[in-house]
Amino acid sequence: MGKFTPRQIALYVVVLVALIAFPLVVKGTFPTHVMIMFFMFAMMGVAWNLLGGYAAMFSFGQAAFFGIGAYTSTILLMNYHVNPWIGLVVGGILAALTGAAIGIPCSNLRGHYFAIASIAFAEIVRICFNNWKFVGAAEGLSLPLLPESLGNFMFHSTKVPYYYIMLAFLVLSIFICWYITVNRGGFYLRAIKESHELAKGMGISFVRYRLYAIMVSAFLTAMAGTFYAQYILYLDPESVLILPISVQVVLVAMLGGAGTIMGPVIGAVILIPLSEYTRVWLGTKGTGVDMMLYGVLIMLISAYQPKGVWGLLTAIGKRAK
Amino acid sequence: MRGERGRGLLFVLTVLLSLSMASAGVAADKVIKIGAVYPLTGNIASTGLDCRRGVELAVDIINGKYPDLNLPLAKDAGLPNLGGAKIEIVFADTKGEPRNGQAEAERLVTQEKVVAMIGAYQSSVTKTASQATERLKIPYVCSDSSSPALTERDLKYFFRVSPHDAIFVRDQFNFLRDLEKARNVKFHTIAALYENTEFGSNVGKQILKVAPEYGYRVVADISYAANATDVTSEVGRLIKASPDVLMHASYITDAILFTKTFKEMGFNPQGITTFAGYIEPGYLPAVKGDGNYFVIRSTFALDLAKRKPLVAKVNELFKKKYGIDMSENAARSFTAPFVLADAMNRAKTTEAEAVVKALLATDIPGDQVLYPWIGIKFDPQSHQNIYAQGTLVQIQDQNYVTVWPFDSAAAPVIWPFPPWKSRK
Repeated sequence: MGKFTPRQIALYVVVLVALIAFPLVVKGTFPTHVMIMFFMFAMMGVAWNLLGGYAAMFSFGQAAFFGIGAYTSTILLMNYHVNPWIGLVVGGILAALTGAAIGIPCSNLRGHYFAIASIAFAEIVRICFNNWKFVGAAEGLSLPLLPESLGNFMFHSTKVPYYYIMLAFLVLSIFICWYITVNRGGFYLRAIKESHELAKGMGISFVRYRLYAIMVSAFLTAMAGTFYAQYILYLDPESVLILPISVQVVLVAMLGGAGTIMGPVIGAVILIPLSEYTRVWLGTKGTGVDMMLYGVLIMLISAYQPKGVWGLLTAIGKRAK
Repeated sequence: MRGERGRGLLFVLTVLLSLSMASAGVAADKVIKIGAVYPLTGNIASTGLDCRRGVELAVDIINGKYPDLNLPLAKDAGLPNLGGAKIEIVFADTKGEPRNGQAEAERLVTQEKVVAMIGAYQSSVTKTASQATERLKIPYVCSDSSSPALTERDLKYFFRVSPHDAIFVRDQFNFLRDLEKARNVKFHTIAALYENTEFGSNVGKQILKVAPEYGYRVVADISYAANATDVTSEVGRLIKASPDVLMHASYITDAILFTKTFKEMGFNPQGITTFAGYIEPGYLPAVKGDGNYFVIRSTFALDLAKRKPLVAKVNELFKKKYGIDMSENAARSFTAPFVLADAMNRAKTTEAEAVVKALLATDIPGDQVLYPWIGIKFDPQSHQNIYAQGTLVQIQDQNYVTVWPFDSAAAPVIWPFPPWKSRK
């Protein structure tokens, strides 16, 4: 993982350059939107991977962190005129602290128990926000329109700046995830995943490393949440705190390949454009064919390629050699 | 081997790139494209498809020649001032999610080159979709979302034809006051019961705000989750509070559940006035006779045909096309295309600024709309139709019958609510 061959580095650079060039070549608003959604879910998938992929904490509650990020920056902006970039950091910290508060009692839970606890936690957050007048309750919040600028984190005439911001967020998350996994913490997490007892026996602080993983994951997911708020400019519990968002994040990571750095990115590049374009092409017929296709694909991958698409690509790569 | 991994990624990206290029739209002549965003798949797809039917019929009428229909532009084919140009609706699916509302509105404008927008049924989706069209400077006429907040934003390009929840709530209080006068009764206490998403909480808020103005005391303020599977504790609280009148804002499944629980527990106020859920097409088949005597806010009921021959004629066309009667949702969505086409025809162009100007000058008389309204005329600031008002229907013998305003009633309201015990 840690060392890259020159060829590999060249390839990543080519992909990155292609992504940077994308908005210059493709001029439509909608393709740009699809790419932004791809980056956003890829980022959340990468963040989830730290929990589910490396530390065996199958969180189905990422929507809570996403929502906390989105709501924190928005409330700070609306009520206290705090710049959204500061809101982003505050939201991240709040999400990380919430993650820690949940993590302390839950990080001893294993497997499905952690998954159940995470769902329960996210649902509690959703219900609270749905009834909490200060955050707009069920009616949600419409962000005040500020003049467009990078400083205001708001753009009205074009989506391209949003595209680059989200791309930068994604690259940052991949880097953080890679950095953690190639360093000691990553090995500890994997040791914990393989065997709790063995890891404990070797003196690894089980709870502490799991807590670190939750906090980093929550922070990154909250960043995506703030981005969402600044991008859509309207928030309600039904659009940021619901279970389908958490499930989407898990799907992206599992489909691409949990426990690999680039897995969630591959998962997102398949799932997000698939769901967006099937909606455009087939959704208007009102038949739900798009949902069926989506479901079939997920079933096929999980049945035939449990290691995810990344695993499939790796296998093809091996055969080609 | 590692290189192959990267190549896979590159391949996927190439496919994605070509997909995005392929979907660029092509414009046609003599056709005015209007975008329509609706939840066409997902859990409220049936409602979205209902809305879609209303829109499609409206477009048939605008584009075709219907000399005996008293609707704007029905008599001529297309828009006469634009050389007989035809309206074409480009539908897009939102799945009921606000972010898709925004994305689809943007796609319709930038790729499909639509010149105006209608939709999106759910208020939260209309919020993001109309925010997108506002930024793109495209007129948006909504006739199917009822959150009051939509016309409190002072958007320049957004107009709403239909009444909003604050108007609907006031209607119900006006109904109670009219009833007090007509029947020489007096109500003192109200209970507010509402589901807790945007729609219900908004109605709840309005009830609590308006009740004191009419001199009623709110004795219970109960919110619940629309997907609840048991509501005995909510109904228990209602029985304990024993209000004169219950006002209930619900979706369909919770309307069915509450109806059954009211019956089981014998909850018998003098009357129950409701919003939304009780008028969905699936409600009556599920509860049958137990649905009788509930009063529901509505903008449309087929019995309006008795006073408005237009309703019967439109419903006949609807039935011929789809094989079912026109529902309230279809009737609501039916209106927006006419309002837009009328404005474009008067503006003699589809250029946004001119269309907005024409929309502001809209003055469609009451006999040219399906509803018992004075007509359609927009408030210059909020762009809400100032003539929009609701009607109330009551379920009588398993039919929706208009009972208020009293002067457009098809039958007198049955009041008080007959005790469950005495009903078969």
